[in-house]
Amino acid sequence: MNKLERLLNLTAVLLDTPRPLTAEELRERVEGYPPPGTAFHRAFERDKDDLRVLGIPLRVERAPGTSPPVDGYRIDPDEYYLADPGLEADELAALHLASLTVRMDGLGEQEALWKLGGLVDTGALVVDQTVASLPTDPALVPIFQAIVDRRQVGFVYRGAHRTVDPWRLDYHRGRWYLTGYDHLRADERNFRLDRIEGAVEVAEAPVTRPEPNRRPADGPAPAWELGDDQPTTARVRVDADQVANARRQLGDSVTETIEPDGSVVFDVPVVNFEAFRTFLFGFLHRAELLEPPQWRAEVISWLEAIEAIDGG
Amino acid sequence: MAGRPTAPDRMRRVLAVVPWIVANPGRKVSEVAERFGLTEQELLDDLNVVFMVGLPPYSPDALVDVQIDADGGVSISLADFFSRPLRLTPSQGLALLASSDGLLSMPGTDPEGALARALDKLGKVVGVGPDDALDIHLGHAEATMLDTLRGAATRGTEVAILYYSYGRDERTSRTIVPWRVFADGGSWYVHGWCNLAGGERVFRIDRIESLEVLDTFSDHRPPEDYESVVFQPRADDPTVTIELEPEASWIVDAYPVTVLEITDGDPSLVRMVVTEKPWLERLLVRLGPAAEVVDATGLESATSLAAEAASRILARYRRS
Repeated sequence: MNKLERLLNLTAVLLDTPRPLTAEELRERVEGYPPPGTAFHRAFERDKDDLRVLGIPLRVERAPGTSPPVDGYRIDPDEYYLADPGLEADELAALHLASLTVRMDGLGEQEALWKLGGLVDTGALVVDQTVASLPTDPALVPIFQAIVDRRQVGFVYRGAHRTVDPWRLDYHRGRWYLTGYDHLRADERNFRLDRIEGAVEVAEAPVTRPEPNRRPADGPAPAWELGDDQPTTARVRVDADQVANARRQLGDSVTETIEPDGSVVFDVPVVNFEAFRTFLFGFLHRAELLEPPQWRAEVISWLEAIEAIDGG
Repeated sequence: MAGRPTAPDRMRRVLAVVPWIVANPGRKVSEVAERFGLTEQELLDDLNVVFMVGLPPYSPDALVDVQIDADGGVSISLADFFSRPLRLTPSQGLALLASSDGLLSMPGTDPEGALARALDKLGKVVGVGPDDALDIHLGHAEATMLDTLRGAATRGTEVAILYYSYGRDERTSRTIVPWRVFADGGSWYVHGWCNLAGGERVFRIDRIESLEVLDTFSDHRPPEDYESVVFQPRADDPTVTIELEPEASWIVDAYPVTVLEITDGDPSLVRMVVTEKPWLERLLVRLGPAAEVVDATGLESATSLAAEAASRILARYRRS
């Protein structure tokens, strides 16, 4: 008797039964189990683990009429079956193409496509090579599950335990971020998934602060727009040959003044001076912070301190 | 999949293939095998097991009935319990939604095409709105530039580019042969042959300042099995050793470094590979007085690099 056959029979019996069945009842009904005793219990425990690994929703409930209570098992068909998404052939092919070109390995994409109807030929759509491989992170799946179930998550971040209402996962600049409501800081926050310390717990508690009805059009804002500094307009002059580079990083919404020599003066809203300084120094001597005077003074003393260390 | 598949691995397959055959009776064994990425033998082996599955008392009328007709068409009946597939696990739902959203975010993808419709339907099954739970940005690039480079890669034509090298802080005109366009770490790249360098190179697409497709073809085709790697240190690349104060320890998260010493829980001495001086210059100015290059191999005057760059920038501030 092979193990696959036993697992399939076990699943069929559990799906078919209207009431929870005890381990002993299952042993009698499903072919291929050893006689009662330790060997049977070991085999049954392994089978239960296998079903869970496959994502089969095994329910454990008190078997009716047992005293003292005995565990009974069944699969609720409503929890087991995939609701038919009604995908057309071209839509299924498009999903196949997406899974081949933007890869997320190790999460079971192929099996997901099997369930949806197979690896449909992408036909006229040209499958060139992989265009991107998204990294996976141990925190991704539990957080996604919590978003779907609208439940809170708990984790340690920067040394503090947070309870967060998870709103959205963003993949941006090559990293995964969680955006949500942080109950510890009583405000909206972004968290880098690779900086979460330890495991993510999905709480029983439902979210109490759903996402407000607005969202940034283009993922998380640049770093200098995320912070707690007094909102300040930084005025920076960028040389002509670096203007394209600056525009790309600053986005379209920043006010600019074009000078006769082709250089451009940008007025940038900043709430995180350190992040802005990092952006500024990317241009070396081809950009200059003009205002405000106190930040200009800070830039100068920063540079003088570097001169003093290395030159001294 | 390497090695012999385990029982759960085969079970994943069976629980997906059987419902499809139930819903699509009479399709050829070869067609079903191809659709699920199996060999015909693997499929037949699975069907042979399904034959034995059923409910107690396992009398013939309670066993799954698999029939293969003379033309190789396969049908399954009496499998009510496996007539629909198992729902998606959260990780499967996440993977498919992320792949689809990622491809849709690629400049030039039809925002109302089959993929967008599929994503919408899939979101409903998983239980999230299409834009609510996930947002994937592979990188910024102009759609026309991506299209042009991909087109050139398909046809094997040469492309003239004006390229700004951030690492060397210089602009160069080059003729390249694009092989492959890909995204990594939040940016788009093109990997191909560079005539100027006389070798394979990877270019960041948002640093291509202009581009022109030439009507010349190139013999420099990609090797059979090549990998596109954005940054691959070589054994003889220069390295620098940097002493860090705690404020500068963010470098460890941001760049591939080897931590040599830790003081009070913070990395205090790190070593990293550096191929271009202007790149290191900018990093050091950003790190500021909290970092100091204490040693360098293969890179001249690295220890005074930060001070020189700082002086150059200061000269501009002192002028105005």
